[in-house]
Amino acid sequence: MIKIKNLKASIEDKAILKGINLEIPKGEIHVIMGRNGSGKSTLANVIAGNETCEVDGGSIAMNGNDITEMSIENRALQGLFLCFQYPVAIPGVSMAYFLRAALNAKNKHDGEEEMDAVQFLATAKKILSELGLDDSFLKRSINDGFSGGEKKKSEILQLLMLNPQLAVLDETDSGLDVDALRTVAKGVNEFKNDNNSVLIITHYQRLLEYIKPDVVHIMIDGKIVKSGDMTLVHEVEKNGYSWLVK
Amino acid sequence: MLKKIQKHSNSRFEEIGYPSKKLENWKFSSSKHLKKYLSNNSDDKDTSIDNHDDEYTLCFINGEITLESLNKFIYKDDMTILDIDQLSDENICSTSSNFEKEALFHLGLSTIKSGKYFEFKKGSKFDTPIQILNFYSKKNEGLRISSFNIFKLNQGNNISIIEKDVNKGSSSFNLSLKKFICSENTILNHSMMYDDSTESNYLGYNYYELGRNVLLNIDSMNINSTFNKNFIDIDLNKEGSEVKINILNLARNQQHLDNNILMNHNAEHCISSQNVRNILKDRSTCVFNGKVIVADGAQQTDSNQSNKNLLLSQNATAHSNPQLEIYADDVKCGHGSTTGALDKDSIFYLRARGIKESDANNILVKAFAKEILQDFVNDDIRNLSENNLNHWIDG
Repeated sequence: MIKIKNLKASIEDKAILKGINLEIPKGEIHVIMGRNGSGKSTLANVIAGNETCEVDGGSIAMNGNDITEMSIENRALQGLFLCFQYPVAIPGVSMAYFLRAALNAKNKHDGEEEMDAVQFLATAKKILSELGLDDSFLKRSINDGFSGGEKKKSEILQLLMLNPQLAVLDETDSGLDVDALRTVAKGVNEFKNDNNSVLIITHYQRLLEYIKPDVVHIMIDGKIVKSGDMTLVHEVEKNGYSWLVK
Repeated sequence: MLKKIQKHSNSRFEEIGYPSKKLENWKFSSSKHLKKYLSNNSDDKDTSIDNHDDEYTLCFINGEITLESLNKFIYKDDMTILDIDQLSDENICSTSSNFEKEALFHLGLSTIKSGKYFEFKKGSKFDTPIQILNFYSKKNEGLRISSFNIFKLNQGNNISIIEKDVNKGSSSFNLSLKKFICSENTILNHSMMYDDSTESNYLGYNYYELGRNVLLNIDSMNINSTFNKNFIDIDLNKEGSEVKINILNLARNQQHLDNNILMNHNAEHCISSQNVRNILKDRSTCVFNGKVIVADGAQQTDSNQSNKNLLLSQNATAHSNPQLEIYADDVKCGHGSTTGALDKDSIFYLRARGIKESDANNILVKAFAKEILQDFVNDDIRNLSENNLNHWIDG
């Protein structure tokens, strides 16, 4: 699904990613854990094409296509979805308008017809109900006045509506209470199937109680220093990251 | 009486002269180019008013009302309509003390040929808004067109006025003076729409005198004006009144838009809000000069002032000067001003969902404008404004 080779990136001339190698095959869930400032969120942003990050070397390929130089929107249209750690509030743009604009862009790219309003509403309402959100959520401005939980549920709503091939969840578990965490995890599990992939970026084990990863990676100082299975998560929970620092 | 007022204004103008940039109200708006316009002495009634003259519309050609529209006007039996010259009470014509210091206000007043006084009968409530169309004829190239009209609302009146300028292709200097007297327990919704593709200059002096328990809504959208400077002075003279001002200005090329707002809270328990947003392309400029004065004793005043400017070009310039002067001790007043480009994080967020960069930019510009338009009182004006906004963005 995605293959990252020796990826190096910087922000304002400060090197953050120092040679990332990562491959996530179709149908797998991978997790990246690491300390604050290790470069996890930068990796998510570089994958999504955020122009505040400068790619200094290496490559990112999705389904065999090099997307390293691709525009943000074209990456999204290729099936990439970034679940934002801090979703921005955009007053004046309703969730419904935004979701329809995103869906129409995707359908147009895929050569499909625009989703009609009736179908859109039926699909959205079903997902909203599963996320424990009221239909009026669609009338609200994007993330404007949303609680922390609502913001993350809004991201999951978008994930389920757009149904991408690769979802990158950037600390989606941060700031959530137990109920909201379960709801978000349920949404991710619902999204996941044999034809798509998930990359979860997190500090903590707690989301992984609900979403079972296939591979766990540890990132330290801009590099993936160790990969393994869930036992690695338990080791980190028990011993921290110090033992992984060379 | 008009002659007496004009004599005073003429001497005031002679005394003050054209405003210089040393004056606070003219610091960022030059009046130099306005000097070349000569006073209009012609009596042009040839201007076609097309199919605009329906029964809810009052048509003015070069500042003077047309008899045809007046005769056809559906609400004429609910009003008293007089020439200003026929008024015996000089106080009716008095305006803001701020305007008394304005040379161009006096220039306008001293050169009007006539003016109208519209007084609505007590208790009149009009379901359909009154439309005022100001036509400026083709023959006005290089001329200054001055007008002065007074509207008086009496107790129980609920009136909506929609005002639009229709330029017929000339480059003129349109100097519009208006006074609104809102007596106790009245509602006035005043919408001003400026959409001008000519090279005309507009200077407006609007004065609102409010009695007790008045609700005043002022909505304005300005698009395509070469030079548009609009003064809005409001005196809240009795308790219990509320004023809401929502203004959206769109400018491109070297257009210059200027809003001068003075809110005088002279009485207790009054509420006012000013929301002015400017969206600027190319080398256009805008000015927001807003002042709230809370007089000694105007306790429980609740006033808010907001100016936000969106710069879509590195060469566009916004001048913002929100001011508060508070002489009472039990009030709630706030003001704020922001100027900047489109938010990069918001653009990234939209693009990360597959929305093209140009579309993302347009969505954000519309969202910025929509926060003003959604508060426009009149549905038709809101819809028209949204259409104008869409054309402007695409243009």
